[in-house]
Amino acid sequence: MLLPLGQMMDWASKRSVIRMNGEKFRRFVKAPPRNYSVVVMFTALQPQRQCGVCKQADEEYQILANSWRYSSAFTNKIFFASVDFDEGSDIFHMLNMNSAPTFMHFPSKGKPKRADTYELQVRGFAAEQISRWIADRTDINVRVIRPPNYAGPLMLGFLLAVVGSLVYLRRNNLEFLYNKNAWAFAALCFVLIMTSGQMWNHIRGPPYAHKNPNTGQVSYIHGSSQAQFVAETHIVLLFNSAVTFGMVLLHEAATSDMDIGKRKIMCIAGIGLVVLFFSWLLSIFRAKYHGYPYSFLMN
Amino acid sequence: MDGLTDSGHGHFNTKHKWRTEFSGCNYVVKNDTVANHMRVVSLSSFLLRFNYRSTHHLTSNGFYEFLNWFDERAWYPLGRIVGGTVYPGLMVTAGLIHYVLNLLHMTVHIRDVCVFLAPIFSGLTAISTFLLTRELWNQGAGLLAACFIAIVPGYISRSVAGSFDNEGIAIFALQFTYYLWVKSVKTGSVFWTIGCCLSYFYMVSAWGGYVFIINLIPLHVFVLLLMQRYSRRVYIAYSTFYIVGLVLSMQIPFVGFQPIRTSEHMAAAGVFALLQAYAFLQYLKDRLTKQEFQTLFFLGVSLAAGVVFLTVIYLTYTGKFSLSLMRYLCPPPRYAKIHIPIIASVSEHQPTTWVSFFFDLHILVCTFPAGLWFCIKNINDERVFVALYAISAVYFAGVMVRLMLTLTPVVCMLSAIAFSSVFEHYLGDDQKKDSPPTEDSSDEDDKRNSGNLIVTMLMLMLLMMFAVHCTWVTSNAYSSPSVVLASYNHDGSRNILDDFREAYYWLRQNTDEHARVMSWWDYGYQIAGMANRTTLVDNNTWNNSHIALVGKAMSSNESAAYQIMQSLDVDYVLIIFGGVIGYSGDDINKFLWMVRIAEGEHPKDIRESDYFTPQGEFRVDKAGSPTLLNCLMYKMSYYRFGEMQLDFRTPPGFDRTRNAEIGNKDIKFKHLEEAFTSEHWLVRIYKVKNEGSSRTSSFLRKARS
Repeated sequence: MLLPLGQMMDWASKRSVIRMNGEKFRRFVKAPPRNYSVVVMFTALQPQRQCGVCKQADEEYQILANSWRYSSAFTNKIFFASVDFDEGSDIFHMLNMNSAPTFMHFPSKGKPKRADTYELQVRGFAAEQISRWIADRTDINVRVIRPPNYAGPLMLGFLLAVVGSLVYLRRNNLEFLYNKNAWAFAALCFVLIMTSGQMWNHIRGPPYAHKNPNTGQVSYIHGSSQAQFVAETHIVLLFNSAVTFGMVLLHEAATSDMDIGKRKIMCIAGIGLVVLFFSWLLSIFRAKYHGYPYSFLMN
Repeated sequence: MDGLTDSGHGHFNTKHKWRTEFSGCNYVVKNDTVANHMRVVSLSSFLLRFNYRSTHHLTSNGFYEFLNWFDERAWYPLGRIVGGTVYPGLMVTAGLIHYVLNLLHMTVHIRDVCVFLAPIFSGLTAISTFLLTRELWNQGAGLLAACFIAIVPGYISRSVAGSFDNEGIAIFALQFTYYLWVKSVKTGSVFWTIGCCLSYFYMVSAWGGYVFIINLIPLHVFVLLLMQRYSRRVYIAYSTFYIVGLVLSMQIPFVGFQPIRTSEHMAAAGVFALLQAYAFLQYLKDRLTKQEFQTLFFLGVSLAAGVVFLTVIYLTYTGKFSLSLMRYLCPPPRYAKIHIPIIASVSEHQPTTWVSFFFDLHILVCTFPAGLWFCIKNINDERVFVALYAISAVYFAGVMVRLMLTLTPVVCMLSAIAFSSVFEHYLGDDQKKDSPPTEDSSDEDDKRNSGNLIVTMLMLMLLMMFAVHCTWVTSNAYSSPSVVLASYNHDGSRNILDDFREAYYWLRQNTDEHARVMSWWDYGYQIAGMANRTTLVDNNTWNNSHIALVGKAMSSNESAAYQIMQSLDVDYVLIIFGGVIGYSGDDINKFLWMVRIAEGEHPKDIRESDYFTPQGEFRVDKAGSPTLLNCLMYKMSYYRFGEMQLDFRTPPGFDRTRNAEIGNKDIKFKHLEEAFTSEHWLVRIYKVKNEGSSRTSSFLRKARS
C-alpha cells in the first residue's frame, strides 16, 4: 500500500482536482500526520441541487488546479481536492457546513483556523483571488494561466474569409464600394453611437432601466450626472440623430431640384426636428444636471 | 457681376473685423474668469505648480541648466531627472516670451506670463482653426469654426487664465500642424510641408498627444491610397513630412529613440514604406506594357506584404517592440484597472457619459454629424482627412474623459461646416436657380423670404443658447482654482476656505528648509511649489514602488509606519481631512487606493480585505475593522476629533463626510506629534519625533526620578 503522499501524487497526476468521498477525505485529509496541505472545495454539482454558483466556482477551481499542475514550480506540498455533497454528505455534517461552494485549506500541521476558510462573499471565486488566498495561507504561489481563447481569432479569420470570397465573387462589380451614401451613413452611425455614451455602457455595464421597488415606476433616465442607463443612451442616440437629420433636411430643402411644395415641407420638417429634439435633449440634460438654469421651449 | 464683387469686398472686410473680434471675444471670456477670483492670481491645480517651478528654474538659470536639471527636492531620496522626463515646449515658450518682453524693456514677472499664456494661445488656436476650416470648406465656415472654438467649454476647461499646462499650447500646435498638412497635400509644395514639420516639432515638444498626429496623418495617406486618390502631391507631402518630422521629433530628450522603437510610431513607418512601393509601381506602370506590369505588380505586392509581415513578427518576438499607450486605449481598459491601480484611480481616465459630451459641447455634438455627412458627400483629399480625424477622435473621447479635448476642435469645425451650409442658403437673397419667376412671384418671394427668416431666427436662437451655456459652464465649473475652496451659506454669501494655502505657508515659514514632507502623491507638486519643501512622491507618479511605500506607511499601524518613515528620513507628514466641513476629496476617501497600491507591492503586509468589516463594508465607526481603526491614516485624521462637537444635533466626533460617528476617539501617538491643523481642519501636519529626542526624554525622566 502506498503512503498517503504517494497515493495523493498518483491521483494528482491523473486529474488536477482529486475527487474525494467521505472515506478518502478522512484518510488523506483529516488524518494526521501529513507533510502536505490540501485545498478542498466543498460543492454540490448535481443538477437537482441547482447550484449555479457551484458550477462557475468549479470551472475557476479547475483552471487554478490545472495551472498548478502544469506549472514549473509544482511540488508535492499542496494538493487540490473536491468533495461533492452527494458523495460525502457525512463530511459536510462533520464540518458543520451548510452552504456551497466553500473552499477550505487544511494545513499539514494543526487544525484549520478561521482564515483557512476562504471568504467567498467578499472576494469572489475568480481563480486569481483564490490563488492569492492560497499564497497568503501557504506561501505557495500558484500562477494562474487561463487557456488561450481561440474563439476570437477564429471568428475573425472566418469573417475575413467570408468577406474575401464575397469580394472576389463580385470583383467585376465593385461599384457598391464607391457609394458615398453608404460610407457617409456608416460613419454617421459610428459617430452617433459613440457620442451617446455607448463605450461607458460597454465598460461599466449599467442596467437597462431602473424600476422603483416601492412605487413600481420605471425610470429610464438616471437621476445623477455621473451615471446613465442603457435606455437613456438609446434615447439620446435617437435625439441626436433626429437633430442631425433635421440639419441635413434643411440643407436638402434649399439645394435640391424637387418642386417647391416638397421643398417647403422638407424645410419645415427640418427646422421642426432640430428645434424640437434639441429642446427635448436640453430638458433631459436639465433633469440630470441639477442647477442648470436654461431651457428652450420645454422644461 | 456688381453684386458679386460687392459681396466679395464686404466679405473681406468682415473677415478682418471678425478675426480680431473673436480673438478678442475669447480673451474677454477668459479674463472674466480671472476677475472672478482674487487678484492673487493663483495657478489652479496641482500639476501646474510643477510647470511653473520648472519655468522659473529655466528663466533663472538658463536653457542648458534647465535641460540638465536634476531635481533632488522631489521624490526624496531618489530625485528626478527633470530635463529628460518632461515635455519642454511649455516652459520654453513661456521663457522665450518672458525673455523677449524683458528685452523690449517691458518688465513682466514670469508668473504673469505663465498665467496668461493659455488665453493668448487659445486666441491663436481660434485663428488656426479658421485657417484650417477655410482650407476644408470656405471662409464662412472658417469664421463660424473660430467662433465656436473660442467659447466651447471643452477647450476652455484647459485654457483658462491660470491653467499653465501642456494642453494650452498643444491644441494650438495641433490645429496649426493640421492646417499646414492640409495645405501641403493640396499644393504638393515642399515649402508647406517643411512648415508642417516645424509645427510638428513644436507639437512634439509640447505634449505627449503628438502620437495622435503621427498616427492620423499616415492613416490619411493610407486611406487616400485605398480610395485610389494617389497623386504626386501626396507622395511629396508625406515623404518629406515623415523623414524630416522623424528627425526633428527625436531631438526632444524625452522622446529620444521612441519613434523608431515603439509600436505607436510603426504605423507611420509602414505607410512610408507602402507609399514608396506604390509610387514605384506607378512609375513602372507608365513604362511597361499591361501584361508585364500585372505580373510584376502581383509579385511585388505579395513580396512586400510578406517581408513586412515577417519583420513585424520577428521584432515583436525578440521584444524590440513595446506596447505602451495602445493597451490603455483599446478595449478592454480593464487591464489598467486590474494591473495598474494608479492609472485606474485618476478620475480623468474614466469613460465618458453622454452628459459629459453634452456639457462640454452643447449643440455642437448634435450638429457635427451633419457636417460629417456633408463632408463625405462632397469628398476630396482634405475632407477625407477631417472625416478620419472626427471618427478617431470620437472613439478616443468615448473611452477617456480626458481626451474630450482632442475631439473639441474637430467638432467645432464640422458643426461650423453644417451651420455654414445651412446659413448660406437661408441667409440673405437666394440668387440661385429656382423656378422661373411666375405671376405671383412677389407673393412667393415674400413667403419664401419669411420662411427663410424664420429658419434663420431659430438657428440664431440656438446659437445664442450655446453662447449662454458656454458662459454659464465656464463661470461655474471651470473657473475656481482648486486651491481655494468656496462654499455658499444659507443666505447666499460666499465662504472662502483658504486652508490649503494657510497650511503651505505655515510649512514654508515654520519648518527647516531641508525638511522632508511625506504626503500622498496628489499634493506633491503643491507642497514643492507653494511650501518649497522636499517631497517624497508627487504627481509625476513615475515610481510606483516608492508610492507604494508611502501607501504602506499610511496604512500600517504607527510602529510599522514609524520604521518606514525613519528609513525615508521623513520629518513631517501632511494629510487632508474633510470631516469637519464635509469635503469629499480627502485622504480617508482616497484611502482604499492607497491600500490597493501598497498591496500591489507588499501583498504580505497589506491586505485590502483587512480594512473592511466581515460583511465587506468600509466603515469608520465602532463597527469598522480594527486594522482600519488603528492605522496611521485613521489616527492622523481623527486625532482630537473625538472631542469636537460640530453641531448640537450630532454627537462629538461626527464625521460629516462619511456621515458616521468615529469609532476610535481616544487616539494617542507614540512617534508623532501634531504640528499644525488648519482653520477648518482641512490640512493636518504632524511632526515625526526622531529616535534621539524620545531616548533623551526617557533618560531625563530616569535621571529626575
